[in-house]
Amino acid sequence: MKKLSKLLLALSFVLSITSSAFAVTVVSWGGAYTNSQKLGYGDPTAKKLGIPVNWVDYSGGLSEITAQKEAGAITWDIIDVYAMDTINGCDEGLFVEFDFDKDFGPGSDGVKASDDFFAPMPSACAVGNILYSWTYAYNHDTIGKKKPTSIKDFFNTKKFPGKRGIYGSAMTNLEMALQAEGVNVGKGNGLVYRKLEAEGGVTRAMDKIKALCEDPDGGCVFWSGGAKPPELLVSGEVVMTTGWNGRFFNAIMDGAPLTQVWDGQGLDYQYMVVVEGGPNQADAMKVIKEMMSTDGLAGSAKHIAYAPFRKSSLAVIAKGEPWYKDGKTNMLPEMPSSKKNTKKYFLVDAQYWADNKTEIGEQWEAMKAALK
Amino acid sequence: MNTETKQILTSDGIPLEQSLKKAERINKIKAFLLVAPLLLFLLITYIFPIGEMFSRSIDDKMITNMLPKTFKAMESWDGQELPSEEVFESFLIDYQVLIDAKIQGKLTQRLNKEKNGFNSILKKLKRKMKKFEDGNYKEQVLSVHKRFKDVAYWRAIKRTAPPYSVAKYLKAVDMFEDENGNYVQVEEKRRIYKKLWIRTFEVAFFVTIFCFLMGYPIAHLLATIPMKYSNLLMICVLLPFWTSLLVRTASWMILLQQQGLVNDFFVLIGLVADNNRPEMMYNKVGTYVAMSQILLPFMVLPLYSVMKTVSPSLMRAGKSLGGTPFVSFWKIYFPLTVSGIGAGSLLVFILAVGYYITPELVGGASGKLISNQIAYHMKQTLDWSFASAMGLMLLCGVMAIYWVYNKLVGIDNIKLG
Repeated sequence: MKKLSKLLLALSFVLSITSSAFAVTVVSWGGAYTNSQKLGYGDPTAKKLGIPVNWVDYSGGLSEITAQKEAGAITWDIIDVYAMDTINGCDEGLFVEFDFDKDFGPGSDGVKASDDFFAPMPSACAVGNILYSWTYAYNHDTIGKKKPTSIKDFFNTKKFPGKRGIYGSAMTNLEMALQAEGVNVGKGNGLVYRKLEAEGGVTRAMDKIKALCEDPDGGCVFWSGGAKPPELLVSGEVVMTTGWNGRFFNAIMDGAPLTQVWDGQGLDYQYMVVVEGGPNQADAMKVIKEMMSTDGLAGSAKHIAYAPFRKSSLAVIAKGEPWYKDGKTNMLPEMPSSKKNTKKYFLVDAQYWADNKTEIGEQWEAMKAALK
Repeated sequence: MNTETKQILTSDGIPLEQSLKKAERINKIKAFLLVAPLLLFLLITYIFPIGEMFSRSIDDKMITNMLPKTFKAMESWDGQELPSEEVFESFLIDYQVLIDAKIQGKLTQRLNKEKNGFNSILKKLKRKMKKFEDGNYKEQVLSVHKRFKDVAYWRAIKRTAPPYSVAKYLKAVDMFEDENGNYVQVEEKRRIYKKLWIRTFEVAFFVTIFCFLMGYPIAHLLATIPMKYSNLLMICVLLPFWTSLLVRTASWMILLQQQGLVNDFFVLIGLVADNNRPEMMYNKVGTYVAMSQILLPFMVLPLYSVMKTVSPSLMRAGKSLGGTPFVSFWKIYFPLTVSGIGAGSLLVFILAVGYYITPELVGGASGKLISNQIAYHMKQTLDWSFASAMGLMLLCGVMAIYWVYNKLVGIDNIKLG
């Protein structure tokens, strides 16, 4: 008996070592999003390649990976990051630079990777994952008779009194504020960034948000995690809040009484990177190749309303509609890139934010700290 | 009398004094070896990290080593007009060296932190400089991007030249060093840190007061009622203490939010109108309430252990000598518990000054403290040297409080039990 237990102990020890040595750790934003990635391409990839894939949650930013690198104990292999962070992390040498067409396979229709992905990458370390959107939503049960329809309504406290949920950093908030000030973003014409770069542009946008937050009929609740906006709306803490369209979509599918407003939405890409010197770099390259394949990306869209980065994946979805996991909902009209959702939008400018994040961030923090 | 005759020898002929010293030395070494692990532990986990933090907060060597030629050429530049051709040429040489070593990204990141906007123009320069012709570098660089024509960018490069700098400490009090070497305040709408320092100490102070006002009667009750009741009450104090901090903070969120239980109750009893519910969270009120409750045990426990040692007969003696209950409390009981108050207040205050997660979750914008800014710079801007500087300043603030306390009350008078 004793021998047996000793043997078991030794065996489990060996197993634990080998399994952790084989596993590739993928870090993402948690909640419904990570779930869509895990079910959509994480698990299938692990099954196909025989490499276990672990999922870890984080809330964005490069601090953890920088700390791991400095301490010489890197535990992450693949990270899901903002575009500006692929730029900054690539500069710092944190991530692997891809040889794009070699590291990623062609689409299912044979088009080579660099042509199949529908936008150029912001840095040599990035591979596109999804196209998502910064929209705002309201609770249609409690908002009253009048319903908000435009981005200006988000800032209109006379017509729609009540608190607003606002993203905790300046990114996308300033762009939305300037639209309320009358800047017409058209179909991603970039005008809003030229206005921000102009003298006093940032201050003007920030004053708009400050006014909204200090308005006795308004007020702000700042959110940082993607699960928070639907929760704020359902609990009645705010009347409207900005958020990520996929999280709103999933909350609606789960029965929450929410409606999204697409006017003036911010289209943004989300990227994956491989950590340079990660614990399992060779396997990580295989895993990311498989996950970012046509079927992999299309798979994740079965679970959340984010558009896959490959044209070939969109074609797969179009063919397979209704694509949502419930088997009834058509996915393409819910995507941020669909025609009805892109009447007026801005494209989040990663290079602008990589350039200006620090100084705008300081002013933003000062504005927040001085709120009454 | 000479010393020879006074010397006492031990049985094996060694002078007693020497033998005693030897024995003592061995004891001392033994004692030292006993505490050595602790000392080592302190060194590794406390002294060394603080030293590391300090050096990080002033160290700016990396960039000094990256642009040696540029800084040398810049020495004679007065910072008024655009620098000379020589500076531009040296900068291109330095930059090319970095590109060849594939570490130009680190320079981009460092300079972008000094002055925003460097990131994109340096990348553009990298692409364009491959086709640069020999000579006339200044003109060629200026044609890459209009920002290169802005003297402020070249001043920013010059500012990074010294290997050590106190800029981060200045920034932590909303100041910076201008071109002429004067320390000046930053423009008004960017001032934030002074406000936060004051708010941090203000919140810590009031939380300590609230904890004292609530904790003193509780501790007194615990110490005076019969054992079987006091045990039960003690569990009421300790149970939340053992519960995770996050759970307690989250429960406050459920209670205090506008659609929360407390507000529901107020509406139910007609205290407030349904459409006019007071905001008790995502502001300073939330920070005060949650922090006071969370830190309360740190006040109650030292008070309780001190009060337990105060003999009840003292109060009876006071009363029998003719003192009113208040007088005997004030003159006899209270002074005996001062050591507990000191310990509790110091504990609560020091913990409150560095509190992070509770203000982050329930503080909204107006209830955030300096520790939240430290976290912000650690996580968001990756300006770790600035975070280190603020962390050290916080540490010094706490040590100053400790020192003042020691002068006023005396640290020996503290009793934790």
